[in-house]
Amino acid sequence: MTGIRELVKPDRVHRSVYLDESIFEMEMERIYGRAWIYVGHASQVPEPGDFLTTRIGRQPVVLSRHEDGEIYVLFNRCGHRGAVVCNEAHGNARHFRCCYHGWTFHLNGLIKAVPLQAGYSRDVDFDDPSLGMVRVPRTDTHRGFVFASLAPDGPTLAEYLGPMTRKIDDICDRSPAGEVEVTGGVHRYEFPGNWKAQMENLNDLYHVPHSHESTTSGGRQFRRTGTATGSRLTRKDGSPISFWDRTGVWAFDGGHSYCGRMPDAGPVSREEHPDYVAALEARLGPERAAEVLDADWHNAIIYPNLGLQSMAQHIRVIRPISVDRTEVLVYPMKLRDAPDVLNRTVIRYLNVTHAAASLIQTDDLEAFGRLQRGLPADGSEWVFLGRGLGAEQPLEDDFGYRSEGTHELPLRNQYREWLSYMGEGAN
Amino acid sequence: MAVAESIRDRASTPLSSEAAADFLFMEARLLDERRFEEWRELFTDDGYYWVPARPDQPNPLDEVSIFYDDKDLMETRIKRLRHPRVHAQIPHTRTAHLVTNVLLEPDVPPEAEALVSSKLLVATYRQDQQDVYAGDCRHALRREGGLWRIVWKKVVLINCDAMLKSLFIPF
Repeated sequence: MTGIRELVKPDRVHRSVYLDESIFEMEMERIYGRAWIYVGHASQVPEPGDFLTTRIGRQPVVLSRHEDGEIYVLFNRCGHRGAVVCNEAHGNARHFRCCYHGWTFHLNGLIKAVPLQAGYSRDVDFDDPSLGMVRVPRTDTHRGFVFASLAPDGPTLAEYLGPMTRKIDDICDRSPAGEVEVTGGVHRYEFPGNWKAQMENLNDLYHVPHSHESTTSGGRQFRRTGTATGSRLTRKDGSPISFWDRTGVWAFDGGHSYCGRMPDAGPVSREEHPDYVAALEARLGPERAAEVLDADWHNAIIYPNLGLQSMAQHIRVIRPISVDRTEVLVYPMKLRDAPDVLNRTVIRYLNVTHAAASLIQTDDLEAFGRLQRGLPADGSEWVFLGRGLGAEQPLEDDFGYRSEGTHELPLRNQYREWLSYMGEGAN
Repeated sequence: MAVAESIRDRASTPLSSEAAADFLFMEARLLDERRFEEWRELFTDDGYYWVPARPDQPNPLDEVSIFYDDKDLMETRIKRLRHPRVHAQIPHTRTAHLVTNVLLEPDVPPEAEALVSSKLLVATYRQDQQDVYAGDCRHALRREGGLWRIVWKKVVLINCDAMLKSLFIPF
């Protein structure tokens, strides 16, 4: 294999980043083993004893709320022989008990009880956290969004998120309580392709009119808002490709990026929901309320495993399985204390866009699968990501760049970060 | 032969379990034969098709679903399946719907005149990939214009909360 640094050029990447199993292994170690990885939301474990299981990279972890009320992220591994302890997607437990020899753990990971403890030498310290369910090195939250890092050192979560913090805030601030609740179920699906294909797609506005032609045909874009009974896939005229350019993309350090608002996303109307708008204004002031009610962005990527959408408020989590297989989870965010109709509209809408049987996401998954099948073909070993190279404009307020909507700036920006993780110590 | 016509004569009398099974078999045939527009016409104007995303999901309003289609959304979905550039369905998925264990349920909901339960096995095939889906199916039926129509159809897949592959054809 060529050196890692040879795989990423200013306007292209080598196909092996999608195909090579050893590069995937390295990604799990160097990217998913170091970055802040989104694990879950506090509202999914509201009560002491609540837990959910997920993965950081491919490592099984538990997000739990201990009896002290605090949230912990533990490796889902018994301190005795290493078996997975929590075998359910979520639940509530007084303690975690391993199925194999009955070692029992508090929800903060420390040992609660070991059967036949007298059989161990008195030198064995059962208060030693390394014999428990070990906590991941670092955990931090922002407005209920729980992140964890497998690296003991590195930037703080606040430093890591940088300008993306504001994107989380924009959504939470649309709730009169300032909180979102992840209680609307989950769309869970897989695709036969590399995880980076999904991350690259989120702020790739070049693909939209082509990939999704069968649903948004004739240059028309479906409405993202809904009726009282829920979102319908009605259409309205007018979204030529030049529109997508005007939308804009913004890219930042850390591999993060976002794109501008969609053509048909409009603010929540004061006429329809006067009490709701008044509650936001009381809490935030009129200026900030107007800002969050008509968010100027659509998709935000927090590299490497999280996507957020503003008006179609949801959390998208990417969980790599192997070099050519990826799991995606899409969770609606409910705005706490907002009118039911607003939250229900989002749920209805996400069925149309992100269900396994959706009318939109399935187009993207088809493309990701075709990338995986097409890239082994010889002819070129390179994937061309040169659209808009050199057209980036530096931002005044944040350290970052803006470019036209269909430019591949966010993709190149992800590879810049990819290389900074992967290239460390490499040639 | 249109499905509705096949049981037209029986629509004047209470639904027999034999007629219920015939109705379900013919509905399944419409899907396998890609007669999606005729399938949609089986539903009442306020009818809907629901595939929950987890077992025991109480309603389709407060949590996401794999399918939750009213007739408008069915129409959009079918138009997409008919679109010449529906990339994810070139080539399209072939299906075989197997319907069995058909029973008339005693607790008929107020919006319907009959509630039919069945078990469903659907094999799908596309591009060298064959998958099998299984689940429990409920049809709430009502007579309209001398024909039995679907007020709602709910399919609870045994793997509804699994990591799913892309789905295109209704179960």
